[in-house]
Amino acid sequence: MSGAETLLRAVDLQVSYRQQEGWLPVLHRINFAILRGETFGLVGESGCGKSTVALQLLGYRHPNSRVDGGHIEFGGRDLLELPRRELDRIRGNRISFVPQNPTTALNPGMRVGDQVCEILLLHKRAADQNQALQRVVELFGLVGLPSPKLLVERYPHQLSGGQQQRVCIAMALACDPDLVVLDEPTTGLDVTAQEQIVELLIDLRRRIGLSMLYVTHDLGLLSQIADRVGVMYAGHMVEIAPVAELFRQPRHPYTRGLIGSIPRIDRPEEPAARPLRGLLRRDELPEGCPFQPRCDFAEASCATNRQRLDRVAPGHEVACQRWRALLAPAVAAAGEPTTPPVRPEPEPPLLALDHLSIAYGAGGGALARFLGAAPFVAVHDLDLAVAPGETLALVGESGSGKSTVARAVSGLLRPYEGQVRLHGRSLAGLVRERPGEQRREIQYIFQNPDASLNPRARIGTTLARPLEMFFDLDRRAIRARVLEALDDVRLDAGYAERYPDQLSGGERQRVAIARALIARPTLLLCDEVLSALDVSVQANILDLLRRLRAEHQVAMLFISHDLAVVRSIADKVGVLFQGRLMELGRTADIFSAPFHPYTHSLLMAVPDPDRPRRSQTAGRRPAAGPPKAAGCPYAGRCAWQAGAICEQTAPPCRKTERGVAIYCHLPLDELTARAHWTPSDEPAAMPAPTTFPA
Amino acid sequence: MAAVTAERRRAPRAHRLRAFWHRTPRSFRIGAFILLVHLIVAVTGPFWAPYGFAQMGAGIPLSGMSWAHPFGIDQLSRDIFSRVVHGSHIVILLSLSGTALGLVVGAIVGLLSGYVGGWFDDILQRFIEALISIPFLVLALLAMAAAGPEVAGNPVLVVLVVALVYAPRIARMARAAAIDIATRDYVTVARLRGESPWSVMRRELLPNATGVLLVEFALRAGYAPVLIGSLGFLGFGLRPPTPEWGLMISENRALLMVSPITVLGPGLTLASLVVGLNLFTEGFARILGRSVRLGER
Repeated sequence: MSGAETLLRAVDLQVSYRQQEGWLPVLHRINFAILRGETFGLVGESGCGKSTVALQLLGYRHPNSRVDGGHIEFGGRDLLELPRRELDRIRGNRISFVPQNPTTALNPGMRVGDQVCEILLLHKRAADQNQALQRVVELFGLVGLPSPKLLVERYPHQLSGGQQQRVCIAMALACDPDLVVLDEPTTGLDVTAQEQIVELLIDLRRRIGLSMLYVTHDLGLLSQIADRVGVMYAGHMVEIAPVAELFRQPRHPYTRGLIGSIPRIDRPEEPAARPLRGLLRRDELPEGCPFQPRCDFAEASCATNRQRLDRVAPGHEVACQRWRALLAPAVAAAGEPTTPPVRPEPEPPLLALDHLSIAYGAGGGALARFLGAAPFVAVHDLDLAVAPGETLALVGESGSGKSTVARAVSGLLRPYEGQVRLHGRSLAGLVRERPGEQRREIQYIFQNPDASLNPRARIGTTLARPLEMFFDLDRRAIRARVLEALDDVRLDAGYAERYPDQLSGGERQRVAIARALIARPTLLLCDEVLSALDVSVQANILDLLRRLRAEHQVAMLFISHDLAVVRSIADKVGVLFQGRLMELGRTADIFSAPFHPYTHSLLMAVPDPDRPRRSQTAGRRPAAGPPKAAGCPYAGRCAWQAGAICEQTAPPCRKTERGVAIYCHLPLDELTARAHWTPSDEPAAMPAPTTFPA
Repeated sequence: MAAVTAERRRAPRAHRLRAFWHRTPRSFRIGAFILLVHLIVAVTGPFWAPYGFAQMGAGIPLSGMSWAHPFGIDQLSRDIFSRVVHGSHIVILLSLSGTALGLVVGAIVGLLSGYVGGWFDDILQRFIEALISIPFLVLALLAMAAAGPEVAGNPVLVVLVVALVYAPRIARMARAAAIDIATRDYVTVARLRGESPWSVMRRELLPNATGVLLVEFALRAGYAPVLIGSLGFLGFGLRPPTPEWGLMISENRALLMVSPITVLGPGLTLASLVVGLNLFTEGFARILGRSVRLGER
């Protein structure tokens, strides 16, 4: 790598944002370089300034931001000094950008082809509209969009999320840029769509020697794509290292914590062992190392000494004065010991779903039905049971109907057919038809803690409301219960007087959990409760949920797309695809062969630092078609498809000897034979993280 | 995992109030100042106004502005400045209370209608659209005529008419806000808890719609004096000797070219009230939007 030419270099970059109280520095003397043809990953928790760095590379000057110093060298010039006109010639042309959310990045009122043409014509890369369109078709082919000639005529809403992101990538590649800046390009996508986009990027890099700056919060993902990684914390670059070295020998305590926080699908018990403690608090940053208040290895002088990037190995720099002292393999293993989940005895189920089908648009009335407006069946003939105190996880990509199930159980949607039973008694379809006792027993926790708390109510008021509704308590008892609930989720009494906007995302999610638990429910519906949170916060909340589940004896219906999280919390797992159950069984059994083909593809899609990188792209999977009336819904996308039978008859339920139900036409030994994914004990491709040199 | 702690310091009350004032938006402070001046004039004005509101012979008619008569003299040789001062409390009382009543009714109806939805919302909206489709002057005249001649000119009736004109318009705004807020998860949580629509409206919707509603209130309140004035001008509402600002503007409208100050005086005074009200409510909405964090941090 040493011979490669430096493409871009950021030197002592400092940026501030305007706040109510004045200017708040968000980047502190950031230094890094990107070589031609390499992929540089930038990782950190939300608010660490990684997106700010990305935007500065594009010379994006927001009125509320200010560059306090430093420069960005690109092509022999300083990007920060360039006048607007010159900058316009570079942006989109030599440095281009792929945004996080393709849905809002594309103009909904313009054909996607025209949107890409615009860039070509603006930068005079095409003589006229016809030539430009030809080039767009080429580009669409390059990024793996099916039938590019037809697609240029489409509007963004006619494309899937993954396809939209491919269009954005085509747009970024349109002028053969020297550098592509990608800001969390797969965060809004499904696991499977994410895998395909990452494969595409790897492939593009190999084929056209693309240089990339890849900004993400997902360190696991970077292990698949990046050459070198820069770790940022609170506006400081704390470590820069080649990716393999970073995972093998993380030098900075924060990087260690970050790697330790990644829920590992192959080591389900590990994330609880060493999460990062505490939270990033911008108002309490010390003069010296920003990580000092949360660091397990900190000394007093860390708080006052400014840390500079120090070279520890060729290409490996770390900003920690104690890195030498940390060479001993003393990775913190503090954390609470996790008790093995108690296997509940076979009891009558708490919650039973009985041939449940849920449809949208079913309430259209007789006229709509007469006119032939068929309701869209989101969940089809689902049978599930959850025992008291048990955690059942539902996994699947978006649109698989897993949230719909939770909405039907909670009474937000009326089942189309079938029943939901609690304690063996059938529940009324809608929440307003259910008695208070049943409403109390089922509590819902939402994905986004920002939206689930009333911004104009104090935390104490929010927590007290369920008590007023469900229990007959006086003010003092309510107050006591509120404080107890806050204590349960490890927040102190002062939080009762606060408003949600004074809390961080993790703290808000704790409050949401407290609000659910304060009603003393028997069943918690957790709808993607972790996916809006940072990795280190996720680990803490996961830990909290596991502890509270044991203390309160509460059953959970845990909905998630994150298999690693599911593996570490669930007793049982159900895999859903397009509203149908594909596989159901105990967690350990689900994660070992034989797999349902869909489960297998989900497992293979999870980026794993220990798995060798994919050097070539797997076969292209066509997008999911409309759900078929007969046959297996996964037919058509299935890599192991048995034949025409898959599309014609519904798959039979096969029981393995361990009690897993798999709905597939293929016999079990065939499924076992085809499995590539193996749990934990496969020899790792890289040395284990414990091999520290003396 | 260490418990996350929130430390809070209690400062003396006066100090906290001062700190709060210093952190309020500037628009709030300017608005509050303008409103305070108007309030003081409204309360104390009748005691120090140089002339009575109907006192003739104050000077030469239409003689323009001077130090003795800053807003000039009208056709009937009344001092317009004194009339504006005398009319201050009428404007503030009638237009603000009328608009406030319209706001309360409109907000409740609109928020409930937006949250409950379904046929309840459909029927209510058609009714509201029907009310809005009638030009407001015609609507006001209909209401006045329905009330009968014996109560014409009664200030209470004027307040009710202003509320009747404004309530449906405010209800539409409130409904739009409710539809937006009703999709948030905290409203879903409340629904799952089994809260009644009234309780959801009061606890979840209203506090989060205050920003929209306050801005709406300020805009509407600014136009209310003109509405009251036009009613009076048509012979309903308040009768001409009353020094209501809108009425004065209409009376002197014909003289705009001869003596512009006779219209500009009351007009600019009204404008200053509207601007003050807007700044105040806008600042107030921003304070609420940041919840009560202002004092702390």
